[in-house]
Amino acid sequence: MFEPWADPTMRRALVEVVLLGLAGGALGCWIVFYGLSYSAESLAHSLFPGLVVAALVGVPLLLGGAVGIVLAAVAVAAAARAPELGRDTSVAVVVTTLFGLGVVLALSPESPPGIQGLLFGDILGVSDTDLVLAAILVLVVLAGLRVLHGQLLVVGFDRASARAFGGRPALVDTALLVLIAVAILVSVQALGNLLVVAVLVAPAATARLLARRVVPMMAVACAVAVVAGVGGLYLSYYASTAAGASVAGLMVVLFLVGLAGRRIRLRRRPPLPAAPPPAAR
Amino acid sequence: MQATVALATPLAAIGDVFSLPFVQRGVVEVLLLAVGAGLLGTWIVLRGLAFYSHAVGTAAFPGLVVADGLGFAAPIGAFAAAALFAAAVGRLADSRRRGYDVVTALILVGALALGVILASDVFHSAANVETLLFGSLLVIDAGDLALAGATSALAVLATLALGRTWLASGFDADATRAIGMRSRAPDLILFALIALATVAALSAVGALLVSALFVVPAATVRLWTRRMLPWQIATVVLVAVEGVVGLWISVEWNAPPGAAIALLAGGVFAVAALAVTRARRPAVLVGGIVALAVVAGGCGAAGSSDGKPEVVATTTQIGDFARAVGGDAIDVHQILQPNTDPHDYEPRPADVQAAAGARLVLVNGDDLDVWAKKVVEEAGGHPAVLDLGTKVPVKRGSDPHWWHDPVNAQAAVSAVHDALVRADPGHRATFARNAAAYLRRVRALDAAIRACFTRIPASDRKLVTDHDAFGYFARRYGIDVVGAVIPSQTTQAQASAGDVARLDALIKREDVRAVFPESSLSPKLAQAIARDTGATARYTLYGDTLGPRGSAGATYLGMEAANARAMAQAFTGRPDACEGVRP
Amino acid sequence: MTGDPAVQVTRLAAGYGGPPVLVDVTFAARPGERVAVLGPNGGGKSTLFRVLLGDLPAARGTAELLGRRGTVPQTERSRLDFPVSALDVALMGTLSRLPWWKRPGRDEHRRARDALAVVGLGDLAGASFGELSGGQRQRVLVARALVQEADVLLLDEPFSGVDEPTARQLEALFDRLAAEGRTLLMATHDLEQARAWDRVLCLNRRQIAFGPPDAVLTREVLEATYGGAVVTLPEGGEEAVLPAHHHEH
Repeated sequence: MFEPWADPTMRRALVEVVLLGLAGGALGCWIVFYGLSYSAESLAHSLFPGLVVAALVGVPLLLGGAVGIVLAAVAVAAAARAPELGRDTSVAVVVTTLFGLGVVLALSPESPPGIQGLLFGDILGVSDTDLVLAAILVLVVLAGLRVLHGQLLVVGFDRASARAFGGRPALVDTALLVLIAVAILVSVQALGNLLVVAVLVAPAATARLLARRVVPMMAVACAVAVVAGVGGLYLSYYASTAAGASVAGLMVVLFLVGLAGRRIRLRRRPPLPAAPPPAAR
Repeated sequence: MQATVALATPLAAIGDVFSLPFVQRGVVEVLLLAVGAGLLGTWIVLRGLAFYSHAVGTAAFPGLVVADGLGFAAPIGAFAAAALFAAAVGRLADSRRRGYDVVTALILVGALALGVILASDVFHSAANVETLLFGSLLVIDAGDLALAGATSALAVLATLALGRTWLASGFDADATRAIGMRSRAPDLILFALIALATVAALSAVGALLVSALFVVPAATVRLWTRRMLPWQIATVVLVAVEGVVGLWISVEWNAPPGAAIALLAGGVFAVAALAVTRARRPAVLVGGIVALAVVAGGCGAAGSSDGKPEVVATTTQIGDFARAVGGDAIDVHQILQPNTDPHDYEPRPADVQAAAGARLVLVNGDDLDVWAKKVVEEAGGHPAVLDLGTKVPVKRGSDPHWWHDPVNAQAAVSAVHDALVRADPGHRATFARNAAAYLRRVRALDAAIRACFTRIPASDRKLVTDHDAFGYFARRYGIDVVGAVIPSQTTQAQASAGDVARLDALIKREDVRAVFPESSLSPKLAQAIARDTGATARYTLYGDTLGPRGSAGATYLGMEAANARAMAQAFTGRPDACEGVRP
Repeated sequence: MTGDPAVQVTRLAAGYGGPPVLVDVTFAARPGERVAVLGPNGGGKSTLFRVLLGDLPAARGTAELLGRRGTVPQTERSRLDFPVSALDVALMGTLSRLPWWKRPGRDEHRRARDALAVVGLGDLAGASFGELSGGQRQRVLVARALVQEADVLLLDEPFSGVDEPTARQLEALFDRLAAEGRTLLMATHDLEQARAWDRVLCLNRRQIAFGPPDAVLTREVLEATYGGAVVTLPEGGEEAVLPAHHHEH
């Protein structure tokens, strides 16, 4: 049971998984509430060329990712101004192009070996420096969420009337996207570009099935994420399956299990009365 | 002036490129797809189904892996996976609005993770993940063409029959509700058609970039017109043009077709968007297209021929042998470049072009370069093919890295000599002279390495490398191969935690002094293991390929000597061990 | 009920990018006044409210509010699937009163519970918002506005979908709030309601009339406001208007 943790690589992977679970689980709740799953997935894809260029040029991935994401955000904003196209379509156009660019750069014969790691991650290869950087970023995400909590609630609950209560929808939208970008940068090293959306969406979606209030939901999401991460590492250890994919896959499986459980429970419950519960007081 | 020169070279080469049968197949495939992709693309943009179409293409990935692993037709596996995906999203998405995007994203990433695990750990096949995700011209066969044609025909029929209904429901229900709840039959048909069409496009553009054909061109045309019929026709035309030009670019740049088409489509969209905002100035449009053409052409590779017999070598080592024996009398086209991993290489059109004019093709065999067969088939010429793996005396099960044993290298060099003589009898004397000289050097190196290693105590000669590539070398010189980071002879597998932890324990137990990253693989994992176990990871080995020009391992002899020195120095801890061993 | 007007609107026009959808609105409401806002769907009630809330800029003219503004929107607009309790919703009213780094503390929790008690939901504070009845949800939203200590309350059809006893309760609540000096503006389709209040404002893309109910609720004004859909109910001869379609948002 504790055998895997005797190994330092596994210990580092464990720390990484806990860090990503915290950032992904907490932020994921807001991604789910605000319907930003597609945006998160697209953002992950559009980071790819920035990461590739960083790897080619030799600067830290975070720097390349940061530059890439700014460019991607600008491009998406520009494309979204075309009134003929819906938001989803303009995002798709920008993301496809950027991802194509990243692939052309990454798969050219001249690029250094191992860039494919950026696609699927290399959770076992994280260094201590990577962990420290990740920890800092996670703190940024959690601090940001704490500061914005009231705003996120008010704007998410009813956007149109939010301003009357001091809500600032534009600020919230921007802040969320920035936080998503930061969380992606943390997680991309471990899970890779293609799988990172798992940690951002699955634990929160699972927690949604279980929790009745927002803050407990965030805590449950973090817990689910960490449990799934640890479980994925165990799976990779004992069954020798690919590490990053095991973590991502397990997060999705937990969600499906939760969903199935809820459906079963709902079907067993006696039907609710049609009218609302006796209210007159 | 520059522009003209830049355009002239590719213009001359265009004819060559499009004469190759597999490129022609690719062009036909793209043209057949264009009708379906163009038509369905307009519906996708109109109904806001971009996410769905991207997701359904990506979700086909595990189906492709299974099909490749079990050996049945890829489109079947892909369509089964896509159908499962669509059904799952339909069932699981909440009837409330927000459920749809969460479920889509999760099933999508679940499908990808499943595909990776299947490819890495279940089917240890030559399933090239890169090809499945980004497409490859060489993969397109007659079945794909038939499927593309059928899909496009269906798309046309469905548009004629159901177009009005689709238009109407586009205004009432948004995509989210339509897909989540019990959809009406016409909508279901649309979703199924999109799934089928993306499956048909998978060989050409891969699982991740289907939007390049289905969304971007339709969006581009939409910027200019909103009327259905002109929009649809123009989109079909644009898809066809972008597809063909994108294929050409992918040949020129040696890039996967999906990525090249995506980049081109995006560039065209950007130019079109600019032109629209600046009051539709045609000049901007033309200027943009010319700029794109120059960029595309300027990065192309130009070939040349000068009458000498052409020999194609797959790996860097074999290329070195060929050059050593053939000298100036032949032209060697070496497919793999230094530091390119041979295990999951996807041959590019340039390789096929070279093989088309070759007289002799030298192959490593033993499943290291499985893709070579495809290259030769597609090239269409009738070169003599020499599988060197069948000519070497020392074999070690299914391990393809036979060249690390100098005895095998000598046999291979002799075989190359014989083949060259058959191909070009006129230079027989030159070849004999070169071969003899080279064999002498190989034998001398072998002796020197052996002498060096016998001086090292056997208990110190413990080897841990990135992957299991040094079996032959180890056996020849009495080295104990303790383990490998990726315990497989192919580098395709993603590392698993279990293997890494077991290796750490083994290294500590056996008191291994050094872990050797390989030059053609990412060193991160090896370095991590070294850090954890106290071993050193300072010394890199040349495993699968030679090193780049100017490095110690740029030639075969240099590689073996460098590896010997690295190992000796790591085993003994003395930086001057075996210093005298030189090519 | 004298003093400076709490709400002063002068020749207001507003729109959503094209030509204004509401023009020529001029009225004033004093603290403690209850103003019913009548009009067909699409006639500008929502637009006016959005301008008053600061959500939409005025294209022409001015809209000034004295003091804090609060809104009680229709509960269908809120995310019923948000995992929030009634208390959480009430607490949202504290957002504008706290500096950005502070989270609601004991004081704020007490104020929220007090507000819930005022609207009669004291012991449902922990209940999940989405599981409450329509009327209860409405009251929670009122509590939210109270926590905000709004001086001007904008109520968007608060009686729609609410049963009789709850409606009576809400009426009594509103009267109490007005008596405390708050100004209430209520968008409604219910003419009887409008008759009971202090002022009536009729909008149909422009201001048709504003004034005390007796002066405003005449046949001509109503026909101009609703475009001729005034019906006289058989029992009691009451006049009522039948709204065509309830969901304009």
